[in-house]
Amino acid sequence: MLSALTARPAVRVAVLASYILLVSWTRALASNAPHAATAVLVIGGLALALSAAAVPFDRLGLGRSRLGFRILGGFALAVVLLLPAAARAGAAPILPAFLAVPAIVVAVGEEIAFRGALYAALEDLGGAPVAIIGTAALWTAAHALSHPPQFLIAVAAAGLLLALWRWACKDLAGPIVAHVIADLAL
Amino acid sequence: MKRPAFLLPIAAVVYVAAAWQVSPGFYDGFAPQQPYNWVCPPLHISGNLPPTSGHLDIKVLGGVSDANSAFTDDAQVVMGFLPGAFDATGKTVITVDIKPVSPCPKSPGLTFSTNVYQITADAPLVKKANLVMRYSDIIAAPSNVYYATSPDGPWTSIGVLSEAQPFTIDVTTDKFGYYAAGYPTNSVSHGGPNSQLLPIAIAVLIIGVLVAGIPLAMVRRRRAAEGAGEEEDGG
Repeated sequence: MLSALTARPAVRVAVLASYILLVSWTRALASNAPHAATAVLVIGGLALALSAAAVPFDRLGLGRSRLGFRILGGFALAVVLLLPAAARAGAAPILPAFLAVPAIVVAVGEEIAFRGALYAALEDLGGAPVAIIGTAALWTAAHALSHPPQFLIAVAAAGLLLALWRWACKDLAGPIVAHVIADLAL
Repeated sequence: MKRPAFLLPIAAVVYVAAAWQVSPGFYDGFAPQQPYNWVCPPLHISGNLPPTSGHLDIKVLGGVSDANSAFTDDAQVVMGFLPGAFDATGKTVITVDIKPVSPCPKSPGLTFSTNVYQITADAPLVKKANLVMRYSDIIAAPSNVYYATSPDGPWTSIGVLSEAQPFTIDVTTDKFGYYAAGYPTNSVSHGGPNSQLLPIAIAVLIIGVLVAGIPLAMVRRRRAAEGAGEEEDGG
């Protein structure tokens, strides 16, 4: 079973995509249960991070090369992600304090799953274009149950931007930093 | 595959344009699915819809009222009743009504994070009911639920059970009257709306990227120059 997974990129993509979508949708539905939001978000974030368990750090985009630059790039990405909200700051939401830790876990878990493990698997399957478009599409689908439909275009655009960064800079540290800051700031 | 740098700025512009079409804060779905409907919307809120009322008829069987929940159509207030929650003497049906109060009541020393709702029933409670109030994600979170017998007050804190779900506050009560969630105006634990913090955070991030980026770029250029020098020496 494991050897089939590693030998066939298509099978690996199918298994990973199914697992990630299942975790994301379960998290979205279960977090509506009373008194469950914090635990569900943390468990969901950790479950997403598990998708990269067998993937080397370098393949995830988490090598140490030029780490300072990449983290700095994450701050720049965060500026872009937050710009539309900052320009309309009066209408920007406030994240309740008790959701701060879950927000960090979910942001890191999502980046490791989508721009890490899934990106690497899709790149093996069809190269960079398939990886960029595929992660953006699956990222949007994963958010379909947690967001109103009118938000999904912006979600897709954020997924495309983060995937393009992953490709252009061969880096996951920047998207992780940016995603954590964006989730905490709003 | 070559990595043309121009794609990233284009993607950034596309993202900003797409994000501008929706209200801020869609990240990871922490925000409520529906915006809060205000009787008196805060100044910075546009496109507000008026809040709705709720009505419930609870059956009484064998002198015991059924378990049921009264809620407003926009689900901003939900009140849950256990079996036998009411003194149902002589009744076959008990009616419960929830109405947003207009004009908005004010209370000195308190800031309400929700509308004020009048909750009435034609029978008194004998068991505590569970009251859940949703609040907006773009104003400071409430710390307490407040109760009054008149919209003019006085308002009494009846505490809070927990944050059952994000952007909701719940409490148990055995009284009908006026309810709102809020916090003492002089409370230091509530930072207020994001309107000041977010632009400052963005400015700090931009300055941080510039200030940290310059020395990092210089170090990288020096290393590259040293590497080239060593190659020339070696060649």
